[in-house]
Amino acid sequence: MSVTAGATGQVGSAGAPGATAIETKGLVRSYGRRVAVDGVDLQVSRGAVLGLLGPNGAGKTTLIRLLSTLLRPDSGSFSIAGVPHTEPRRIRLHVGVLPESPGYPRSQTGEEWLTYHGRLYGSPRAEARKVARRLLDEVGLGDRAGSMIGGLSRGMRQRLGIARALVNNPRVVFLDEPTLGLDPFGQRQILDLVTRIAHDRGVTVVLSTHILAEVEQVCSQVVILNHGRVVADGTTTEVVRRAAAPRAGVVRVPSHLRDKAVHTLTSLRLVSDDATLDGSPDEVSVQLPGDEPVEPSAEKAIRGLLDAGVPVLGFSLEGGRLSDAFLAVTRGAGDD
Amino acid sequence: MTEAAATTTQPRVSGTRPSWLVVAGQELRDLWLSGKGLALMLAYTTLLSISTYLIAMNQELNFLEQREAVSLTLQLAVVVGALLVVLAAADAVSGERERGTLESLLLTPASRRSLLAGKGLAALSLWVGAFALSIPYIWWIGRDVGTFGKALVGGLLVGTLLALVVTGIGLLVTTFSQSNGVSLAISFVVLLALLAPSQLPAEAGRGWAGELLQRLDPFSAGLLYLERLIINAHPLSQDLELLIAPAVLALASPAVALLLGGRLSLLPRSGS
Repeated sequence: MSVTAGATGQVGSAGAPGATAIETKGLVRSYGRRVAVDGVDLQVSRGAVLGLLGPNGAGKTTLIRLLSTLLRPDSGSFSIAGVPHTEPRRIRLHVGVLPESPGYPRSQTGEEWLTYHGRLYGSPRAEARKVARRLLDEVGLGDRAGSMIGGLSRGMRQRLGIARALVNNPRVVFLDEPTLGLDPFGQRQILDLVTRIAHDRGVTVVLSTHILAEVEQVCSQVVILNHGRVVADGTTTEVVRRAAAPRAGVVRVPSHLRDKAVHTLTSLRLVSDDATLDGSPDEVSVQLPGDEPVEPSAEKAIRGLLDAGVPVLGFSLEGGRLSDAFLAVTRGAGDD
Repeated sequence: MTEAAATTTQPRVSGTRPSWLVVAGQELRDLWLSGKGLALMLAYTTLLSISTYLIAMNQELNFLEQREAVSLTLQLAVVVGALLVVLAAADAVSGERERGTLESLLLTPASRRSLLAGKGLAALSLWVGAFALSIPYIWWIGRDVGTFGKALVGGLLVGTLLALVVTGIGLLVTTFSQSNGVSLAISFVVLLALLAPSQLPAEAGRGWAGELLQRLDPFSAGLLYLERLIINAHPLSQDLELLIAPAVLALASPAVALLLGGRLSLLPRSGS
């Protein structure tokens, strides 16, 4: 499984032929003079759970609308499950979408609504109803199948929306901010559902969200958009390593050996200018060189201290979270 | 893949039933079972009752001949029926757009045109309902002059043609309207503009320009046909040339709406 993406066009291995669920090449879409999606190259493998991140106005929703054929690209091309973008009706057979702010017919029941959509995909009424019931069970709404949608809670409606996205047994599912406006319990339910869908059905899931913890929790791959361009991509670890590798750390040593530790680390050029941490007589602040990989530098510091006879009671790196990477690559992005 | 996933609906390009029929069925259910259609029919019946009462009063006072009374009632039924249809058609897409329900419809493989066709059929059902409700009124007013059969056929013919005309207009406007309010306002104004020539004084219809306008404007031509059919007791086939414009527009208006409906998109000006 691989995700390779970049505004510069580098596309990596996608595994075995035919294993690509989504492929875009130089995708561009503008609204008037504003470029919403600017030369996006993506390659997402089958079965991946891709986190699509970016600040407001980064182009996430536009990208999803392009890939689900609701919008036409100004230039570039894409394919979904091998179907080129020039065949939008065929693509729609293979994608399921939970839109960003979906509306629901308040005076229909969940079962009616899903049955209707199933029939629009060509199923006979009886079969569509059977599938609707099964999907309602799958998203935990089996006991509310006959309730009017207007009477469902926001979380229930979101789960109904996910059921709608699965009504055609899609190969790729786009979920645009599925946990928006939900309480922590509702968020938990949706994320569990997303994980289950990806695992049980083996579909490719593209999860657009602002909540980075969600991505770290459920996504195998990450793409960060900024001003319509891909600014980071890969696994969460890769993105963090490339964009926000930790450069600072704290070493904990016996307090009576602290000065010796500072001396040792200074000689190794690994101590920060302000080595003393307030109120922490047993801790030394470490600054790792920015031009070297993190792990060897950290190892060098620990080994140097041990060689100097200073026991290392603890060593922790600061930063290195997805949120650090996100901030690093989207710095300066406004709420446009 | 689990059993549940494996047995879920398999995508098909063509189903057992055309998607426009599926859409029409759902729209009809939404319109009539949600109470919206029934509420409109109730308002329509109230209006028709009041106008029939007033017409009957005028008849009693000899201000109106019975044939004139039948003609007036029939014309009212046709015009109000067209109004109901245009209101429903103008809501068809922009209403869904505003309520956020359009996106999930556009994501299905059903073509844009089939969505419009289904919605247009549902809107037309209001005319059918309105005309059915007007039958007892027409019968009661015209019970002594033997025009019931002609009024029924003529009213159904003219009303259906005009309903088709306004369905096309409503669908066309709603497809490209950002909001429901805009769509309803534009459609209503267009309907009024089409009705205006029929409300001009008789002198305005004289001369070649007046006559041309009367024949080109579908409402003027259609209502004039009904007038001659009922008041002048012309046979159904006598003034058929008056129905040329309504018939042409009844074909052209929905056709144009469906043709341009292929450009139906989530955002009216997105060009998608």
